[in-house]
Amino acid sequence: MTLRRRLVDWSLAGLLVLLPALVLKASLARGTPSGLDQALLRITAPLEAGVSWVVEGIGGLWNRYVALVGVEAENRELREDNDKLRRQLATTTRKAFDVEALEDLAVVKRRTPADTLGARVIGAPVSPQFRVIRIRIDRGEKDVAPGMPVITGTGPVGRIDRVYGDYADVTLMSDVSSSIEVVIPRTGGRGMLAGLGRPDSYACTIGWLEKQANPTAKVEVGDEVVTSGLGASFPPGLVVGKVSKVARDDGMFQRVEVEPAVDVSRVRAVEVLLAPPPPPDPDAKTKKRSEPAFGGRPL
Amino acid sequence: MRTATIVLVAYFSCVILGAVWRLMPWAIHDAVPDLGALTAAYLGLTARRNVAPAVGGSVVLGYLVDLISGAPPGLIALVLALTSIIARAVQQRIYVRGATMTIAFSAFVSLLAGIVALFVRALYHVPSAAMSIELRHLALVAVATGLIGPIVWRIFRRIDAAYARTHRERDAALEGLAP
Repeated sequence: MTLRRRLVDWSLAGLLVLLPALVLKASLARGTPSGLDQALLRITAPLEAGVSWVVEGIGGLWNRYVALVGVEAENRELREDNDKLRRQLATTTRKAFDVEALEDLAVVKRRTPADTLGARVIGAPVSPQFRVIRIRIDRGEKDVAPGMPVITGTGPVGRIDRVYGDYADVTLMSDVSSSIEVVIPRTGGRGMLAGLGRPDSYACTIGWLEKQANPTAKVEVGDEVVTSGLGASFPPGLVVGKVSKVARDDGMFQRVEVEPAVDVSRVRAVEVLLAPPPPPDPDAKTKKRSEPAFGGRPL
Repeated sequence: MRTATIVLVAYFSCVILGAVWRLMPWAIHDAVPDLGALTAAYLGLTARRNVAPAVGGSVVLGYLVDLISGAPPGLIALVLALTSIIARAVQQRIYVRGATMTIAFSAFVSLLAGIVALFVRALYHVPSAAMSIELRHLALVAVATGLIGPIVWRIFRRIDAAYARTHRERDAALEGLAP
């Protein structure tokens, strides 16, 4: 190899080294791929994608169907973890539900103008149609007595029927033996709400609902029914439910069906009214003069 | 033709290796063998009379590797060109034959290319990781390159043998003797 050829060869090699150096400088200054880069990437990208697809497919087959060492043990551990977490979730959900019910009762206790006692529902026998027939609470002879009204934040539930030991059974509003004095605020009509005792619903009825002289004051489906406070058992203004059906209208009276506001199947805690609420003071808003004491007048 | 074939084979190997190595467990997927450096070293070491084809082949391969690896275009091309020239310079002094020597030389080439890459990056102000991470990466790559070195050299020698003009050249290529 002559010196001239050697010089040409090394010069060419030097130029070939210089070329990437210049390309690198230009690419760093530009910051984005050049047209040549993009064109080459367009050509080589499908090849890379194809190779990746094949290799990852084979790798996936290996990982999913062949290399399953330790999967059984891992699966067992995960199942145990899952069971533990499910139990924790159930406990937490139950506690959250209890807390919600107790908060609700606290509100009821604050706004009820009577002595009340909180109680937890510990049993609820159901009918063959899965309707709650009565509920059992954890308050017994020392705390409650038959006939005491039982309410929740949503409305009245019923009355205490039997008390034995540390427990008491509550007859629901939907029971045939139940009766509550009610009023329909829109019309002013009063009546006695009684349970229909149906095995497949909690419906109640107002048999002889007073009809007002005004013909537009007729009770309609959807009208709200509240306790009247008469009978000195339930405090007035508790929402009992809504009129679901007008069954009879004979001029003076109407007979309607009422759907209770309280969903008895979801009740977890209740308030028992220990004493009837005090009667309203008729002179509450009038000023009274004091009687003379010992013959003299007050200053 | 010989250089073009080696460059193409090396490029396809890089693509396949890149796809395979991503599936490797633990720290192995960080230790990608430096096939580019091996190819550049082989081209430089087996350059016959002219050095320019070896450097040209290294530059083309480096540019393609730049594109698939996401490095700034020209970075690996420059590193491989310099690696090829260094390998050409030691052509008469190093005789790569036998598994141990091949493994050791492959690891050395990888380290050399890594150091050159660090130097070029510093020269062009290309951002790098912390020096400890770079050194750990260099060591891992050197080990991986050393391990696959014998296979790669065998393939390249087969290609050389396929392009041999005489039986003597063919046997010499398969034996790893200097051209």
